[in-house]
Amino acid sequence: MWPAAVGNPISPTKRHRLDQRHWAPYAFLAPAGLFAMIFFFVPVLFSLYLTFTDWNPLSSPRWIGLKNYKYIFTLDPYFYQTLTNTFVFAFGSVLLGTAISLLLSFAVTRIKGKALWRTLYWLPMVTNVVAISYMWTYLLDAVYGLVNQGLALLGIAGPDWLSSPSTAMLSVIIVSVWAGLGGNILIFSAGLEGIDESLYEAARVDGASVWQEFRHITIPLLRPTLLFVLVTGFIGGLSNFALIMVMTGGGPMQATNVVANYMYQVAFQNLRMGRASAMAYVLFVIIMIITLVQLRVFKRGGVESY
Amino acid sequence: MSKTVYPRSTSEQRSMGPSSPREGSTRTLMPRSPQALRPATGPNVWQVGLDGGKYFIIALGALTMVIPFLDMFVGALKTPAELLARPPVWIPHHPQWNVFREIWYMVPMARWYMNSFIVSTSVTVLVVITSSLAGFALAKYSFRGKEWFFRFVLAAQMFPTFLFLIPNYLIIAHWPAVGGNDWLGRGGNGLLGTYVGLVLPFAVNWWGIFMMRQFMLGLPDELMDAARMDGCSEWRIYWQIVLPLVKPALATLAIFIFLSAWNEFIWTMTVTRAAPDLQTIPVGLQLMRDTFDPTRNAALRRAALAVSTLPVMALFLSLQRYYVRGLVMTGLKG
Repeated sequence: MWPAAVGNPISPTKRHRLDQRHWAPYAFLAPAGLFAMIFFFVPVLFSLYLTFTDWNPLSSPRWIGLKNYKYIFTLDPYFYQTLTNTFVFAFGSVLLGTAISLLLSFAVTRIKGKALWRTLYWLPMVTNVVAISYMWTYLLDAVYGLVNQGLALLGIAGPDWLSSPSTAMLSVIIVSVWAGLGGNILIFSAGLEGIDESLYEAARVDGASVWQEFRHITIPLLRPTLLFVLVTGFIGGLSNFALIMVMTGGGPMQATNVVANYMYQVAFQNLRMGRASAMAYVLFVIIMIITLVQLRVFKRGGVESY
Repeated sequence: MSKTVYPRSTSEQRSMGPSSPREGSTRTLMPRSPQALRPATGPNVWQVGLDGGKYFIIALGALTMVIPFLDMFVGALKTPAELLARPPVWIPHHPQWNVFREIWYMVPMARWYMNSFIVSTSVTVLVVITSSLAGFALAKYSFRGKEWFFRFVLAAQMFPTFLFLIPNYLIIAHWPAVGGNDWLGRGGNGLLGTYVGLVLPFAVNWWGIFMMRQFMLGLPDELMDAARMDGCSEWRIYWQIVLPLVKPALATLAIFIFLSAWNEFIWTMTVTRAAPDLQTIPVGLQLMRDTFDPTRNAALRRAALAVSTLPVMALFLSLQRYYVRGLVMTGLKG
């Protein structure tokens, strides 16, 4: 580090420059700190306050205590359903997405032209969510969509994917998996490339099958990566709603409505800011609990830096 | 999918070697089976089969990735009759190239592009500046509250964006002394319906600060100390020494932030619903419902999607290598 100024023949101007080192970091942090005040602490506390009020933005907030929470948990006709949907969506898309992207990364890692392949999987990652939603809405159209036309060639009558409550959730899960493959493959590939090739060679010499290689070498050595993708994907899935908002709007008959989307509807369509804030907080607390549990598990499992 | 390939390759493998006693029990690693004695000569047939299987899976996956985009592009070129044909017309007989020109007049596409560009560029510039400044302070200085602030940066990343939608909307709407508001933020629209309202909530990115800090930790302290010896101010150290050294990291951050700002949807939609002049590409696409001639609606909408996404996709894909590495290094953002 910098030698102590004491006993150093330093001119007054230089001493002044040294002093800068004490306040310069605060100056450098000032923009971020100011932002943290206005767009982090104020919103977090303000929306906590809102959860105890009845407020549409045209009037002034009225303190109603815990009534919003009481309403959500006892009277609201859709809250529990949207909460279930949230977990189904997050769980379904993270499990399906991890399985498929793991398989694809395993296939793509030791193969020619992997950069090109990966680029193809990266396509949805650079496309906006509205375009993705509409592309898939066309594909999944009951009559004219390519998916059902393709199924018809095989003699299968495809369902009305997005308009039927029984298939709508599956449809949005599939699209969300499709859209996220590139990111997962990227992370898995990095993990897979870190595995020593000689382990596979040794296993092959001993006559291990591909499945055995996968099961006994790849999976154990990839476990930290796997855990990371599963948990962060799950947490992300709990709060994502843009895709659902555009593709189904939460319908049909609330079949795909997740808490975040429901909150958005209550806030910006019904203009019940207090109740919507309470919903946001309930979901937020759930996510925080899962995140903290995850951090514990990661620390014990030796996953660094997160 | 895994069920389609692995059983197949194991069965190929089984048919190759002598039947082994461990058939059915695939749990143990490296068993002493007769297969172990198989001479390792020439191109192993089941290895070739496995590679074939891998290519099959990847090609199948790649097809799934490309088909939606192709459907969008080709569908835009179809005539209304072709779009409704069953069985489908795969390749339009008379491609309607005209739609791509037409769509510029039917929706304010140029406006959307311009808005997206203005917003994304502003967000990117602000985030790069604030992240590198804060990252520099956290990486290279010791001061009171540093540990505290760094922990906050880590923790803040875990707060989901939906939590901020309502309060940020109210903060922007009640920003004091602008947009007809008085000093207490009452009476007008505040920053709603301005570019500032679109940009400001994204001006600092916690992940960006974290990323810059990680990169700057590796810079040698001697460099900065030498500069200080020469009487260089802390600002000049940041501006003339540190920033040039972390250019690759800045590029990664800039591209990534630009990409996410370009594709940002929910916030922009929330604050520009009533301000068509400020709508960006995703919002415009979402709100353009039913504005077309109904018989040509499907083709025109696909054309709008294609015109608004494909050029930018090409740009981002060509920049891929600059930001992908950065994402791997710091973990993909939640």
